Amino acid sequence: MARMKFYCDPERCIECNACVTACKNENEVPWGVNRRRVVTINDGDDGERSLSVACMHCSDAPCATVCPVDCFYTTQDGVVLHDKDICIGCGYCFYACPFGAPQFPEDGAFATRGKMDKCTFCAGGPEADNSSDEHRKYGSNRLAEGKLPLCAEMCSTKALLAGDSDTISEIYRKRIINRSASVMARGVSYRDASFRAPYNAAGKSSAKE
Amino acid sequence: MGSMISISIPPGSLGAKAAAWSLLLLWLMLLPGQGLAESKQVKGLPPPAVLNPAADLWRDIRQRDMATTGTTQVRGVDSGVLINANGDKWRKFRMDQLIPIGGYLLLGMGLFLILFYLIRGKVRIAGGASDRKLPRYTSYERLIHWFIASIFIFLALTGLIILFGRPLLIPIFGKELFSVIASASKEGHNLMGPLFLVALILVFIKFVRRNIYQKGDMSWLLRGGGIIGKKHVPSNFFNMGEKSMFWMLIIVGSVIVASGLVLIFPIFGQGREWMELAHVGHAIGAILMITVIMGHIYIGTIGMEGAIEGMSTGYCDLNWAKEHHDYWASQMEKRGEAISNEAVNRFSDPDTNRSLGRELREAGE
Repeated sequence: MARMKFYCDPERCIECNACVTACKNENEVPWGVNRRRVVTINDGDDGERSLSVACMHCSDAPCATVCPVDCFYTTQDGVVLHDKDICIGCGYCFYACPFGAPQFPEDGAFATRGKMDKCTFCAGGPEADNSSDEHRKYGSNRLAEGKLPLCAEMCSTKALLAGDSDTISEIYRKRIINRSASVMARGVSYRDASFRAPYNAAGKSSAKE
Repeated sequence: MGSMISISIPPGSLGAKAAAWSLLLLWLMLLPGQGLAESKQVKGLPPPAVLNPAADLWRDIRQRDMATTGTTQVRGVDSGVLINANGDKWRKFRMDQLIPIGGYLLLGMGLFLILFYLIRGKVRIAGGASDRKLPRYTSYERLIHWFIASIFIFLALTGLIILFGRPLLIPIFGKELFSVIASASKEGHNLMGPLFLVALILVFIKFVRRNIYQKGDMSWLLRGGGIIGKKHVPSNFFNMGEKSMFWMLIIVGSVIVASGLVLIFPIFGQGREWMELAHVGHAIGAILMITVIMGHIYIGTIGMEGAIEGMSTGYCDLNWAKEHHDYWASQMEKRGEAISNEAVNRFSDPDTNRSLGRELREAGE
């Protein structure tokens, strides 16, 4: 049985936000909700890296632990999904989640929380696969069609990987090996090392000596 | 190493020798690597402070050493934060501390009250009910008391349903039905919550003057409020216990209201950290408050004869008042505020009755 995972390679992500747009379009998410976001750290400085982050489909999901109505479930593929018919919009999953994945559409007066919405790994919800109910509540169910999440499928630099964790980690492991062990051997922080063309070659691992 | 091997395999055997040799080989294989690292350093490169540059990146993202907030195109509070460092602490608080400890605390209080009732029984009016009464609470005072009481009970029940529903109610009702109950509880809790602030302010304004600690409160406390033993301890309009409960209601109630307002309106830019903190304060305050109010309800109802009369009818029995609030009762009696039971029955409104009592006194009755 597969265990689905995302992996974002910070050395490849170019902060194009195509994954965010693709997700929003594919799943027709509610207004004000972004299931995926690209965060850039050290923006404009040495060691600038971008990461695309959404629900990471934890094996032991904190959201599922704290949910007062027990609306979360893990599919056989290891995808963490939730039932919007049971969700009461309390926001506890949002407090507990390390990644800020659960989002709440504004619903009613004073922006009270509506039903929680989060990345489904393009696997829909508890309703029948690709039914109109499922699409309305959770967006598309690409997994049922034998496809992977659109964000990863259309990532132009293949920074964002999605799929069975064994496969993903194998790809990433090969990348690490191929990506010059020189950085590792030098033992400098990522802030001083880059695989991209540096402004100033000195001290950069990709610079030829 | 050799001694370690000799424990598992008899010394001198072929297996032990092979193992020892392979270990030696492994050690030799590691040597050139060490030499390489050293030679690199000689070339004038920085010393290998970090062996894996990616480790540094993930450490920054994990926010172990410093708070790393990134930039993002997604607008929203905290959307630039990659890892919510306090989420796990909050989860541990809720699941490992709040639910079990809070649950046992409330259960323990319930058991304690049952046990207390079985041992102590109902505290009777020692002199029996008299034929005269004292006006204790005006209709407005009773109105705001029952206003805050009904809101409190509603908020406590709905809050407890959300807190303990998953372990206690889902096995009974099932997820679907419990979701309806929990959803109604959440909406009701959010709707009634702000009203508690209004009630709290009204109660504070009306009762604060009589709840300022006075002379005699300390001796009341030292004598345990008369819980232990048969003797009653004199006190003013409110005794030391009631005053303490009032101040707890005001202080803890304010914490509950303030943290509740942080949680209920997620539109003022408060992030997850504030909400987690607010939830902790809200939950601890509420559990504490419910525990104390359980004792309050106990004394007001089955714990003591004549205690509820003041809040239900507006009048209390003269003997009850003398036993529990002697300073106040003797003062009132001296002023001639005590009125007969018949007079009380004739008029339901305590405000007119108070003036009636004055009229009767003036008439020399």
